[in-house]
Amino acid sequence: MQRAVSTFPLSSGVKLKLLSAGFRFAGDLQHVSPPKLSHEAGLSQQEALEALQVVTGGGAVASFTAMELLQMEAESRNIVTFSSQLDSALGGGVPVGKTTEICGTPGIGKTQLCLQLAVDVQVPPCFGGIEGHVIFVDTEGSFVLQRVIDIAAAAVTHCSLLAEDDEQRGAMATFTVETILSNIFLVRCHDYVELLAELHLLPDFLSDHPRTRLLVIDSVARPFRGFDDLSQRTRLLQGLAQQLVTLATRHDLAVVITNQMTTRVRGSQSQLVPALGESWGHASTIRLLLQWSGSRRLATVVKSPRHMDATVQYQISTDGFRDADQSDER
Amino acid sequence: MSESGAQVLARTEARRCLTDIEPRLFPGNGGPDHGEVVEVCGPERTGKTELLYHLLCRCVLPKSAGGLEVDVMFVDTDYSLDMFRLVSIIDSRLTRALSPSAGSDEEVLRSCLSRLLVVHCSSSSQLLLTLHFLENSFSSRPGLALLLIDSISAFYWLDRCEGGASFSKQEEKLSKCSELLGRLLRDYRITVFATCHAIRRIHSGLSSSSFSSSDSDRPYLCRSWQHLVTHRLLCSRQASTAGGSKEQRMRQIFTVHCSSSTGTKAHRISSFHVTDGGVDFT
Amino acid sequence: MVVLRAGMCPGLDEDLVRDLRAADVKTVEDLVSCNLEELAQRCSVSYKALFAVRRVLLAQHSAFPVSGADLYEELLSSTAILSTGNPSLDKLLDSGLYTGEITELSGGPGSGKSQVCFGVAVHVSQQLKQNVIYVDTTGGFTASRLLQMLQTETSDKEEQMAALQRIRVFRVFDVFSLLDCLFGLCSDGLQQASVGGGSVKAVIVDSVSAVVAPLLGGKHNEGMSLMSQVAGVLRTMAKDFNVAALVTNYVTRSSSGELQPGLGVSWSHIPRTRILLERLEEGTTAASSAAATADVSRSSLRSATLIKSSRQPCLIREEFDLQWWSRSKDQKTSGLKRKREEDSDS
Repeated sequence: MQRAVSTFPLSSGVKLKLLSAGFRFAGDLQHVSPPKLSHEAGLSQQEALEALQVVTGGGAVASFTAMELLQMEAESRNIVTFSSQLDSALGGGVPVGKTTEICGTPGIGKTQLCLQLAVDVQVPPCFGGIEGHVIFVDTEGSFVLQRVIDIAAAAVTHCSLLAEDDEQRGAMATFTVETILSNIFLVRCHDYVELLAELHLLPDFLSDHPRTRLLVIDSVARPFRGFDDLSQRTRLLQGLAQQLVTLATRHDLAVVITNQMTTRVRGSQSQLVPALGESWGHASTIRLLLQWSGSRRLATVVKSPRHMDATVQYQISTDGFRDADQSDER
Repeated sequence: MSESGAQVLARTEARRCLTDIEPRLFPGNGGPDHGEVVEVCGPERTGKTELLYHLLCRCVLPKSAGGLEVDVMFVDTDYSLDMFRLVSIIDSRLTRALSPSAGSDEEVLRSCLSRLLVVHCSSSSQLLLTLHFLENSFSSRPGLALLLIDSISAFYWLDRCEGGASFSKQEEKLSKCSELLGRLLRDYRITVFATCHAIRRIHSGLSSSSFSSSDSDRPYLCRSWQHLVTHRLLCSRQASTAGGSKEQRMRQIFTVHCSSSTGTKAHRISSFHVTDGGVDFT
Repeated sequence: MVVLRAGMCPGLDEDLVRDLRAADVKTVEDLVSCNLEELAQRCSVSYKALFAVRRVLLAQHSAFPVSGADLYEELLSSTAILSTGNPSLDKLLDSGLYTGEITELSGGPGSGKSQVCFGVAVHVSQQLKQNVIYVDTTGGFTASRLLQMLQTETSDKEEQMAALQRIRVFRVFDVFSLLDCLFGLCSDGLQQASVGGGSVKAVIVDSVSAVVAPLLGGKHNEGMSLMSQVAGVLRTMAKDFNVAALVTNYVTRSSSGELQPGLGVSWSHIPRTRILLERLEEGTTAASSAAATADVSRSSLRSATLIKSSRQPCLIREEFDLQWWSRSKDQKTSGLKRKREEDSDS
């Protein structure tokens, strides 16, 4: 089947000129030289050369068998959350290479979990971590330095208590509060334009900092609330979702985004549901719902590709995000 | 272009008039005459395709089974022809009409199907070239009385995108097809039925996704096509009645509103539901 | 429009092309629709030569009509029906996925579309021993889940590995890469995915709305045109290579509040069969608290409604368990027996 020129990622001006010169299909451009094309279609030399490269380049898309992907998955890593119950509900922790969404009402602990992950991703491999760097995109102003220091300090203490052999003790030399802080790159965005621009520039940053393993966006809901044109918002969000998946897969990142809750009124009932609309529910691969049940905090895995739904209890202490004290349960 | 005597004869000899193709659909003195074009339009899931199959069967079935025994040319632009469904409709009509005799059923079915010619097009320029090519078929088969196009709106978005900024360039290809069709209609005196899918208009600010009736019957194809159309069948779906038995709910009723712009501007509303054996008028 | 070029057909040489260009005939369409006698005079070419060129070009570029009888014979011999592995879904689909057609599964988040796709891929690869192409646009493909499903079908490790080898996964996250992938597959005849002598019988795209939806709306038509292109290449692939195409779509709410598949009216007539998946709400007693928290149903039950089909009456509904594909063989056969009894009772 012939592939039309309009299906290639060329600028619309170039496409129009090619079409009006009669080049409708990729096959028409097969045996045309750049000077001839530039003459016939009225393009500049540069444009003609680029157009020919795109159309006849034959972008082959890489593919894997499910067998190969299985091996890659076995080798893929997780970021532990320091709450063993949550880790087992997630299948080992927050996976690298996938997008995870954390939803919850204000004050439930979303930012705390993100800060905890920003510290946990840096844990050295001999302790079960992945020693990666973090980009923290803050849209709400909820990144509080003192809190990060507390969590980092608790993590360092925890690991130093665990250190048994020389390797681990050696790793502790580089795992200090100062290095943890220096490996977190903080970006502040005030509206959706800044957020989208930041994400657009991210691939360049990532090629300069290949050790980055975690991208946190806290929160993705804030810049998109109060939009007048809902259909434009949906479009932007869908494009954003695809960008995040591309970043996670191509650069081997764990992408963690937080979302707020909103009230949905259906008839006489009202319900708390994640914000940003129903179509946003498709965006992330894993969805974690944090909620109150009386005085307990519960974390529920509502969407996950391999495990069925599960609920665990957790708590936020001065040390950070932890399992709930068993003694509290009645 | 000079023609042979046989070609002239094939051209001017009266082809089967299809006025009686489906009297229950068309108002007054019946259906489309020679050289007339019927546009079947409406939103999705309103029974347009089933209606087309019904008309197709009516044409290819033998006279003994209530058909017209004419040849039909089916131009399929979006691969929507379901041969299995068509054959099951023809089969059930044959068994209903003829006394079931085991051996000859296959033969009759085969002869019915051989009266149908199917051609697939994947772009409006291919449609244009194919219509030119089909001129040969029209002149060599005087039994070919009906041209079915499903659907004429398949390339609407592709043409609009490739035409760039100027509206006339966007509509150029469909206009050329319509002009060619017009000439074929005049020269060969065939009848044309074409389906036209409804589209959602792109209006910024209009966020509703339901279909208002004013949207669905506004024609949007190019002017040359609008000039050709002589009858419009607007299909819609009746809201299914709540309650009632399961069978009642399954019998979705579809309504067809027929308006013709030739002669007396008459209207007619008919309704049908779909069974295993095809369209069943109520 | 197909541009006239020297060598396209015997008799069409550089000089003729130049003369025709001078007479403002640049494309095949122009040549076919203009008056040949006039043109022959203007270009001082023989009418016969021009007529011959026109005839050859027309035959090269137009589509040929096929007799309905031949078409039917061909379809009878080449169409296959692929069971999805789940009897309730098969019942809805009139025995399964038909090759040569596009079937669409739509549903909201968490409704199980990807799980159904996994189940179908596993069934086609393991039971029917055919190859599957899986195009993942959301990053949701998890090979370990497929292995889990395979382990209930067979405990033989060799068979499991062989089944996994038969599934080829493409990960594309935007529409141009999707088009690259699909056109690439079409042009090499699905060779790269045909492994071990089997042929590709199913192409699954999960999901098509993730890459197409960001392009729709707004004032530009490019999105609609790209959607038509994706539809066109999927259909051609399904028809020409005799595969069953299964695509997934998201859902939106219509103004009356009911769920409908996304991507709008223009996409709605592209799939031959459409199924809507929903979570089954377990009797959530309102408990009179004004803001009950969001559903945290543990259930794996889903309901599938047939919303478009040319073979079955619409709106029939079946309920099924997403865990069907993970059940052991014994559980499946006993489940099947129970189901048959239920069906014969009703």
